[in-house]
Amino acid sequence: MTVLQVPRIYFRGKISWDPIVTNNLTQLYDLDTSRPNFAGRTVAQYREAARLAVDNGEGNWNPHGTHRSTFFETTVTGVDRGEGVSEADALVGQPVIQTGMLVDLNPLTAVTSQLFFDRLSLGIEGGSQILAPAGYRYTARNINFGRNTGYQVIAGVASVNWQTSFAKADLRLAARGSKIIEAFSKALQKDEVLGLTVRFNAYRTTYFDSPAATDARERTLADRIAAGGFHPNPARSLVVGVVGLWCEGEPAHVPGDRFLVGGDHPLVSSAYAAVDGDSLVLDLSNSISETGFDVEKADLGTLTVTARACPPVQLGSIRYEDYARAAYEKNSGLVCLPLDAAQKAAALSADLEVSAGGTPVLSERRFHACADTPNVYLEAGDLHSVALHVLDRGKPPAVPVKLTVAEVGGPALGPVVVSTDARGKASVELKGVQKGEWDQMLLPWQDDSPPEVPAQLDPTQSAYFSVRTMPTDDEVAKLPPTWENVFAQVLRNWNALAPCMDNWLRLNDRQQCEAYAPLLKRLTSRSEFERFRYMPVTRDLTTGERTLLHRWCDAVIAKQVKAKAEARAAAAPQPQADTQADTKVPSSRKKRRIREARPE
Amino acid sequence: MIRIKARPASTVVELRERLQQAVELEFATLPPYLYALYSIPPGQNQAAVERIKDIVHEEMIHMCLACNMLNAIGGRPLIADQKSVPSYPGPLPYDIGSEDGKLFEVSMLPFSKAAMAQAMRIEEPEDPLVIKAKAAAAVVPEFQTIGEFYQAVDQGLSRLPKEAFSARPRNQLGDQAFFMGELFAVTCYEDAHRAITRIVSQGEGSSQSPVDFEGDLAHFYRFSEIERNQVLAKADNEQGYAWGEPLGVDWEAVFPAVADPASHEAALVNDAAAIQLQDDCDQAFTRMLVNLQRAIDGEPGRLGNSVRFMFELRMASIAAFSHPVEGLDKAVGPAFRFRSELA
Repeated sequence: MTVLQVPRIYFRGKISWDPIVTNNLTQLYDLDTSRPNFAGRTVAQYREAARLAVDNGEGNWNPHGTHRSTFFETTVTGVDRGEGVSEADALVGQPVIQTGMLVDLNPLTAVTSQLFFDRLSLGIEGGSQILAPAGYRYTARNINFGRNTGYQVIAGVASVNWQTSFAKADLRLAARGSKIIEAFSKALQKDEVLGLTVRFNAYRTTYFDSPAATDARERTLADRIAAGGFHPNPARSLVVGVVGLWCEGEPAHVPGDRFLVGGDHPLVSSAYAAVDGDSLVLDLSNSISETGFDVEKADLGTLTVTARACPPVQLGSIRYEDYARAAYEKNSGLVCLPLDAAQKAAALSADLEVSAGGTPVLSERRFHACADTPNVYLEAGDLHSVALHVLDRGKPPAVPVKLTVAEVGGPALGPVVVSTDARGKASVELKGVQKGEWDQMLLPWQDDSPPEVPAQLDPTQSAYFSVRTMPTDDEVAKLPPTWENVFAQVLRNWNALAPCMDNWLRLNDRQQCEAYAPLLKRLTSRSEFERFRYMPVTRDLTTGERTLLHRWCDAVIAKQVKAKAEARAAAAPQPQADTQADTKVPSSRKKRRIREARPE
Repeated sequence: MIRIKARPASTVVELRERLQQAVELEFATLPPYLYALYSIPPGQNQAAVERIKDIVHEEMIHMCLACNMLNAIGGRPLIADQKSVPSYPGPLPYDIGSEDGKLFEVSMLPFSKAAMAQAMRIEEPEDPLVIKAKAAAAVVPEFQTIGEFYQAVDQGLSRLPKEAFSARPRNQLGDQAFFMGELFAVTCYEDAHRAITRIVSQGEGSSQSPVDFEGDLAHFYRFSEIERNQVLAKADNEQGYAWGEPLGVDWEAVFPAVADPASHEAALVNDAAAIQLQDDCDQAFTRMLVNLQRAIDGEPGRLGNSVRFMFELRMASIAAFSHPVEGLDKAVGPAFRFRSELA
């Protein structure tokens, strides 16, 4: 089962994207060192360069970003318990609540986006609610730069699929009159059900709070920043999404359904599909282009869905009104086609194809691969094993399949070929060889006909995972843990790149950093890496930098503890002969009752 | 239920006065709520902390929306001013909530059942508390609930000519920096109506249901959950709701602290550290307000600076709450004093 099989929840609304994009520019960020490219600038000069990059054509649309990404005006819009989409459920209309941190594994490219978050809630406490603490970060896939033909402001042209999954042991479901939550509760009792999967598509992203970003708006932002204060400039996307069951054998982070890729048609991009009972469900949430800011869908006429059996079997037709805007928003881009027995057999045994006007626009790739860890952070010299899955029309293959893992433009000598086991599983060993980030295309194949390795990654055509190797900086770790070294080697980087931090913790303020040393240490710890509040949000702190920072924090904390102990000792009452003291609790003991608190 | 004396509001000038009143009322709830919130040691009483934080955020949004409305019709919200900052213990602005000549005095209480009961009284949607407006004791007053007060403002705004609203956003706070999707510019009556609907709904809820239009509980019920230490849950009964499982409130997990810290100034004289902590709190609070004032005066970027000082206020408050004052054997938390000399 997947989100393409019932039971299923639909939601719709908006999401904000507020990344700092200063590090999207090679002139301001050095991926090899994982640091801002200071080029001799001070922090103030670096910030000024970031500001100037707003309106000098370099495209820095958000130097004051926070990386926060929040669902807003987003609600459950429908449910499907096997009887079609319905609005008759207590969960419908309830808010979908989530705030995450948008972080690109490689900020210089557009294909490695992730969302770190702590929890997702459908509904509110006390009402019908699914509360899902994060298990895995969200991963973006299939970014489609042809999505909106009439709205091409920055990445407003694009759309992208996001997915994550939640282990059932962590979930809290409270039906309170919601039949769909009851259905999920029942389904979650099955051994093969691992939990829930959430998949959503973000599209029509608006920048500068305007349908048309203009030079004047860029200039206004740059001027406001120059005048002082905090000026984040979040982008906002529309969102449609679904929640379904996550089952054994299905990837958590990326869709594991049957994968259909687009052909030459400029208005159609990749899709997913699954047979669910007596229906074929197509996920067209990322597939068919809109023609403008009003998000009306391009009219491709009636689409025909066929199983490429011999002879081909037509599975059904999709009229324009079935994929037009209203249907898209109601069904989150899913289209269901009823199948008779013969059609179902054909759909299960042959590749799928979608045609427009007799021309194929989507064709199934029989084998589809994915990695358990779509975004991998390595240190140079690290060894890491990545688990891979190959799916044969959405299911584990009956026989072993070969899988070519091809690095795009990286230091690897050539593609690696691995064979899956009988369940379609394989692994590949990675070694952090060279600083930087490279995408690893996954190309499954059979019959001694290895695929031609594309020269470039097309995220709408190929599965992939990405690896970023951070620099080894033992020399930084070994530096004396002085404030000067910690600032110069660690804190200065965020102080320059993330002006938003000024609103919470001034990283150039020694006194303040010392006061919050316990907090700094905790939030930069490796154990917090998956958490919403991990620092630095950009996740480019190297081991050497962390070691130096933590050594400094430890020294500061030890000093604080010692000072407190001395203060307590100084305040402790001297032994007194006066027996009246026995009738009172010494104030110093009372003081100790007050719990010591450290800022969170 | 808090009541406020009804006064006509049909002209722009009168509506500006009412909206300044709204700003002050929304603001006045924050110090007592924050005092209770900050008195909870970090990491403890999480369910209560989350609820109070949500309410505080919504009150801040309400205040900002009231500022947006006032700015939209040509006024100037006043926040960073001694006249606009209440003293505690003391009445709410304009003696709101007083009844039969008896003032409703709001205290700064550390997290406790009493603090939650006081907050419930402030937010209570029914069983009105009636108070007299301060300058009109001789007049037979007419009183409004907060919801009715906003409704009257809404009606007044609806009757204004379109030109009374600045169509070009005038000193407006948006959601770019904080409160995504919840804070928006007011440039016409429809925006103002939306703002008022949100304020009333989140503050009071409807009389039929504790759940407002967004599917969230009104503030009164969230405070009630804490006070009762029970979750209010949807139920299949006539009311549709019932008190459910324990919320997990630990009334002992709180810094031992005095109520009404401003009343304990004399007790601090021999404790230099405590005096310094009070100054730190006052300074952070003052700077927070000064930057907020700049933000609503047309420098929206200063909202971030204001938040920075709110963070500093929290940290200074934790330090103050962690410091038992010699002789009192309790801590003296932040007094939320606006001291312009510290700005």
